[in-house]
Amino acid sequence: MRVLFLVALLHHSFGAEYDVKQPITLTGTVTAIEWTNPHTHFYLDVKDASGKVVSWKFEGYNPSVLQRTGWKRNMTMKVGDVITVFGWRARDGGNWAHSREITLPDGRKMFFGPPAGTGDGGSRPAVEVK
Amino acid sequence: MRATFILAFVWCAHVSCAQVPRLGGHPDLTGVWQGGSATPGNWEEANGGTGVGGTGRNPNASAVLSSNDRPAGREGAPYQDWAAKKVLESYNRRGIDDPTAQCLPAGVPRTVTLGLFPQQFIQTPTQIVMLYEYMHVFRVIPFNAKHPDDLIPSYMGNPVGQWEGETLVVDSIGFNDKTWLAGTGTFHSEALHTVERFTRISKDRIDYEIVMEDPKVLTKPWKLTSSLMRREGTRLEEYICAENNLDPGRYEKLLKDGVKFTR
Repeated sequence: MRVLFLVALLHHSFGAEYDVKQPITLTGTVTAIEWTNPHTHFYLDVKDASGKVVSWKFEGYNPSVLQRTGWKRNMTMKVGDVITVFGWRARDGGNWAHSREITLPDGRKMFFGPPAGTGDGGSRPAVEVK
Repeated sequence: MRATFILAFVWCAHVSCAQVPRLGGHPDLTGVWQGGSATPGNWEEANGGTGVGGTGRNPNASAVLSSNDRPAGREGAPYQDWAAKKVLESYNRRGIDDPTAQCLPAGVPRTVTLGLFPQQFIQTPTQIVMLYEYMHVFRVIPFNAKHPDDLIPSYMGNPVGQWEGETLVVDSIGFNDKTWLAGTGTFHSEALHTVERFTRISKDRIDYEIVMEDPKVLTKPWKLTSSLMRREGTRLEEYICAENNLDPGRYEKLLKDGVKFTR
């Protein structure tokens, strides 16, 4: 059987650091954005149930990948914007997560990071082990 | 010359190569390409709607295959028993030991088949230069040359190219043993020998095939196929992986905390 090998490649394994069983959606105010390689990050101030403001950190695609899919630095999402982000929490339970979809202040939805499971080996190992 | 012309004519009768540019009697592979794709269009058209690696507008939808995943229907990689166990250990650790997480080059064929970053080919009558945005690696591939006899093992190997009809055949040896081939943990030895075949079947598409041989690790040659799509208007950008690579520190902490990488 001829199987085409069509692939993406993330810099690292999603599953090593993030937990697909812990999806999270948060709304808050963007306080900083780092356009760095191999990953971008942004920080979000989010009010918890008691009204206390908690800072969350989110990871995303690297800058060139974002730029090629329509993101413009300091224009598409800016410090001070109120946004909603969907993603998955880190395995260690800290206030940081892998970001996937961002809802911008004007209602547009854009992807900031890759889907869950990227780069962590899929559902079957590459080999059969006897 | 006449034989080449006839061969090209016969080949072109079977595929849509009428618009394939030519250089010195051969297909010209010059251009910016996206590996691991069969979707036409410019970069944003082909990737913007779903996000790179995505399968649809649903943010929770699973990823398209990554270079660490085994595609459905593909047989297990032909590793020797002891080596297969080592591959499985990496899989069970969720690829935490992936060399690229240390910002090291992805090697061959991962660098070619990945879809997240573009690659650019620049062909002349005597060589082809392949530039990769991911990890800033390159391959300078002379045509009709022999491998040197004093090779220093390297991440991307020592490639030489020749034309077989309409196909560019790239033969590489001289690899180090620090990269993965195609899938989590798919290590190899310095004995790795690869033969890649690039066939531009239309203006927008190159069919890609690789056969990997490594008698120290594999039981038989391992063959994979993929394709690359032309991305007009895309430019290679800077990618300095070491700028802010947080993974090694995180991995160290996860292992120290005794993380369980359950699926």
